[in-house]
Amino acid sequence: MDSHQLIVCRCEEVTLADLLETAQAYQCTGRELKLRTRAGMGCCGGRTCRTLLDQIIVQTTGQVPSHTVPLGYQPPVRPISFTTLGGR
Amino acid sequence: MDDVLVIGAGPAGLSAAIACAKHGLSVRVVDEFYRSGGRLLGQLHQEPDGSWWNGIDEAARLDQEARSAGVEISAGVSVYNVNRIDNGWEVSTTAGEFHAPMLLLATGASETAVPVPGWTLPGSMSIGAAQVMTNVQRVRVGQRGVVIGVNILSVAIARELQLAGVKVDRMILPPSSAVTGHAGNPEAVMRSLLRVAHLAPSPFIRWGSQLMKSHWMQRLGVSLYPAKGFSMWDIPIQLRTGALEIVGSRQVEGVRVARITPDGQTIPGTEEVIPADFVCIAGGLSPLAELAAIAGCPFAYVPSLGGHVPIHDEKMRTPLPGLFVAGNITGIESAKVAMAQGSLAGLSIASTHGVLSDQSLIQQAIHQVEYVRQKATIQFHPEISSGRAIISQMATECMGI
Repeated sequence: MDSHQLIVCRCEEVTLADLLETAQAYQCTGRELKLRTRAGMGCCGGRTCRTLLDQIIVQTTGQVPSHTVPLGYQPPVRPISFTTLGGR
Repeated sequence: MDDVLVIGAGPAGLSAAIACAKHGLSVRVVDEFYRSGGRLLGQLHQEPDGSWWNGIDEAARLDQEARSAGVEISAGVSVYNVNRIDNGWEVSTTAGEFHAPMLLLATGASETAVPVPGWTLPGSMSIGAAQVMTNVQRVRVGQRGVVIGVNILSVAIARELQLAGVKVDRMILPPSSAVTGHAGNPEAVMRSLLRVAHLAPSPFIRWGSQLMKSHWMQRLGVSLYPAKGFSMWDIPIQLRTGALEIVGSRQVEGVRVARITPDGQTIPGTEEVIPADFVCIAGGLSPLAELAAIAGCPFAYVPSLGGHVPIHDEKMRTPLPGLFVAGNITGIESAKVAMAQGSLAGLSIASTHGVLSDQSLIQQAIHQVEYVRQKATIQFHPEISSGRAIISQMATECMGI
């Protein structure tokens, strides 16, 4: 297996190659990387790949991590059913 | 409505709940897992003095103490939102909404993923998952496994697997890539391992760790590191072997590995496939602070504490009124530190609530946290104390105290 075809975001099936190429081409923030590739936007809410996206940005753009959490959190922070959200 | 809501029934959350309840506050603890204890449940190791630390017993003791003090523990409840309301907090959970003037986040840590080609195959799991299956659910994760990622946590858990009769064939490093950081670099791994070498049972490793305190000896140690590795508790730790890929058609059948240079580059012509039916990937821990983020708490980035942590003062108060933190959400340390922090947070909450008559208890609890930290057998990071100092400084600036 080509290590470049390594899946980083399992929910949205985004590969390391996709992420590295996007980060290099756009020299972007973690948020832009997320929006361009959908990595971290799947059903788990980025619980597995969030820190990996942060690392990719640090490595490819040289941006130093700031005190602000790079990728924001939005509720619900757990997958929940529509019933729980107030449906019937 | 309860006086205090605690999110997380691990060592920090339960200790805090006990302290609050003993000062007359009504306390509810919620936890996502179906039983209380948090990561204590997986822990089983021998202390340097020969005694055993059995996390399941510790969890049972805390659970019992909390319940007899009147704490309500709701297990199997997930929190998906927190909102600041007029005089407190509104917490949305899978068991409905809870309200309380005081909220303690003791949500612990989550494992850091290390992507390895083939890591999506069944039979590949995080080292923490293997720990829970083995020690909590008593399920055999496989017959013969390989651990990818050598750090304090993975060495301790490999030992637990071995104690349970699960064969760990060897421990090796992940492939060096943009997403593995220092974990694929033998020199960096060697340095972090040397910090726990005093726990090793073999006098030879203890001797070696003394020898390797100087930097050039470390380099030499890594370049001369034997291919078969050194064994700890009969588990070969191969710092000069890297995983290239987890292989298998429908599930894990093995790991393709190669010898690597001291800085983590693959040595051509040294590839082989090691048979295995399970693989544990170990990338370490980072604070699980998502609820603090949606609550609007400011953060600090402190690598020695595991990454981004909510800003808090030495009394475990965040800058947000009525919001407290304790345990690994504030930085990765041992369960004993988490307990001490929990007790402190509980006293701090009681004080804020106006029910703590003896304020000197807080100072004692602050000293106790520091004492436990200094005495800890396992320092997860050598710079923990300076990391803590950074947080205190930022809290002072942020809270104007």
